[in-house]
Amino acid sequence: MSKKRKFGRGWATFLGIIVALALVPLLRPPPYVTHVLVLTLLFAYLGTAWNLIGGYGGQLSLGHGAFFGLGAYTSTLLFMNYGLSPWIGMAIAAGVGAGSAALIGYPCFRFGLRGPFFALATLAFGLIVVELLTAFREVTGGSLGIFPPYLGNAPHLFQFASKEAYYLIILALWAFIILLVRGMRRTRYYLVAIREDEEAAAALGVPVRKYKLLAAVISGALSGIGGTFYAQYFSYLNPESAAGLALSVEILTVAIFGGMYGLMGPTLGSAILTPISELLRIWLGGTYLGVHLMFYGLLLILVIIFMPRGVLGKLEEALKRGLEF
Amino acid sequence: MSGILLGGIYALMSIGLNLIFGVVKVVNFAHGEFLMIGMYIAYWAFALYGLDPYVSLPLVALSILALGALTQGLIINPLLKTKDINQVLATIGLMIFLENLALFLWKSDFRSVLTAYSAASISMGEIRLSLSRIFAFAVAMSTAIVLYFLLTKTDVGRRIRAVAQDAEAAELMGIDHRRIYIATFGLGGALVGVAAAAMSPIYYAFPTVGALFGPTAFIVVVLGGLGSFIGAMIGGLIIGIVESIAGVLTNAELAKAFAFAIFLLVLFRKPTGLFGERARV
Repeated sequence: MSKKRKFGRGWATFLGIIVALALVPLLRPPPYVTHVLVLTLLFAYLGTAWNLIGGYGGQLSLGHGAFFGLGAYTSTLLFMNYGLSPWIGMAIAAGVGAGSAALIGYPCFRFGLRGPFFALATLAFGLIVVELLTAFREVTGGSLGIFPPYLGNAPHLFQFASKEAYYLIILALWAFIILLVRGMRRTRYYLVAIREDEEAAAALGVPVRKYKLLAAVISGALSGIGGTFYAQYFSYLNPESAAGLALSVEILTVAIFGGMYGLMGPTLGSAILTPISELLRIWLGGTYLGVHLMFYGLLLILVIIFMPRGVLGKLEEALKRGLEF
Repeated sequence: MSGILLGGIYALMSIGLNLIFGVVKVVNFAHGEFLMIGMYIAYWAFALYGLDPYVSLPLVALSILALGALTQGLIINPLLKTKDINQVLATIGLMIFLENLALFLWKSDFRSVLTAYSAASISMGEIRLSLSRIFAFAVAMSTAIVLYFLLTKTDVGRRIRAVAQDAEAAELMGIDHRRIYIATFGLGGALVGVAAAAMSPIYYAFPTVGALFGPTAFIVVVLGGLGSFIGAMIGGLIIGIVESIAGVLTNAELAKAFAFAIFLLVLFRKPTGLFGERARV
């Protein structure tokens, strides 16, 4: 019974957070604050998507930038060339994200690539995507990128004059992904079993390959959706920034820093890191390029060595110790 | 012919990565960034003191040796007992850190070492070969020979090979494998340093040069077989030739994408590489 009450409290907290965040635009925050909030929620969303296969499944993907970028390019190119609304494009982007994750995931799992080899394969996949997006410059604009036309306020075409609208959309996407991953209880348990010991999990009857692929495909689809959001929000895409390795590393740093073994870990990581990296970008970005990535790289090393369970893990430890008193 | 010379350079660039994987069993994702730092040191030695890259070669090798030893001592050794994913993540962090450190310190400018022989070439019948590439190829071959003797004839070399074969058994024989790992990572770094110095008259130094060559080194090593030296040499030659031919036939990006696709195929079909099982360190 006590378990049930705890459960209810979790729901209440979650709903409370959503409502509170949804009311933020009423305070009329300056546009820059809204921008940081949008980015924070976007990386919380992407980190949670990565975490499904990377954290729960323990399969270190360096290809999420590619799933994301392919989604971004899909909806944008469909809109620019065929006038298809990015809302529909977003659904297709999810399909492309899922398909590309299956394309690299299936052979990896089929041939038993794990650990550093899975990381290498997804790294190579991401690099191929960037090279191809650059090579077909007649369609994609090459390394100069593309600018979707700006139409002002056109909600049916996923374009809004105000940042607040984008904020509410990414908030909804974030709430959706949290509920989705939370609901995938059996998948999560199977994935954790696979992460801890693949042979043992297989021996106990966990369909290892099927669940790894399922996680990769869902994760890829969600990343593709994130890509469409990014394209609409920024109205600019180029292969390196929308699909490159740096993006993949940013996503996984957020997840690992926050804590890759918990549902809210990536969100916590993004809530701490994204505002810091945005501030660094403003203060130093003009004169010094890449400063926030330098910070991310260093942070990744330190987190892995000193708190492999992330901030969330540390918090849980502290809480437990507090209870022992 | 130029494909073979390119292959020699690729092989030289990859031996260090291969050695580290063979002994420490860690894939160093920051390998390309080690190369990049080495090329910058060679560049600055040239730009500030007028040192020819072949004169500053020992300096570059020693610096990257130190970088490698520090990496193992400070980052990898504390993670030895954890999942191998953690070591991968740490070297990815190092990769991103070094690349952006270079961007921070030296901007994204392209810098090159222009020696008297940079543009020089010799003709053999119909073929013209760049002199600096021939030098680099010679360095690659002699480095491989020196390394071979180092590993087979010296005490440290024997210890490294013992740890590579069985770290626990070596431990029982009184070899501290953590120190051997540090030595190996340093040695691997030194080899990258040699490659960096030899490549600096040929290629520009810029912050993302590591991201350009790093993946190629992975391809060479995986193709030739992780932990296999002869494999790395042959893998280097294959990729050098393939890239030269593909570069002539199509544009640069497609050639790169093609090389990565081959890499994936090799990874799927034969993760031990073409020479993985037979050869040993």
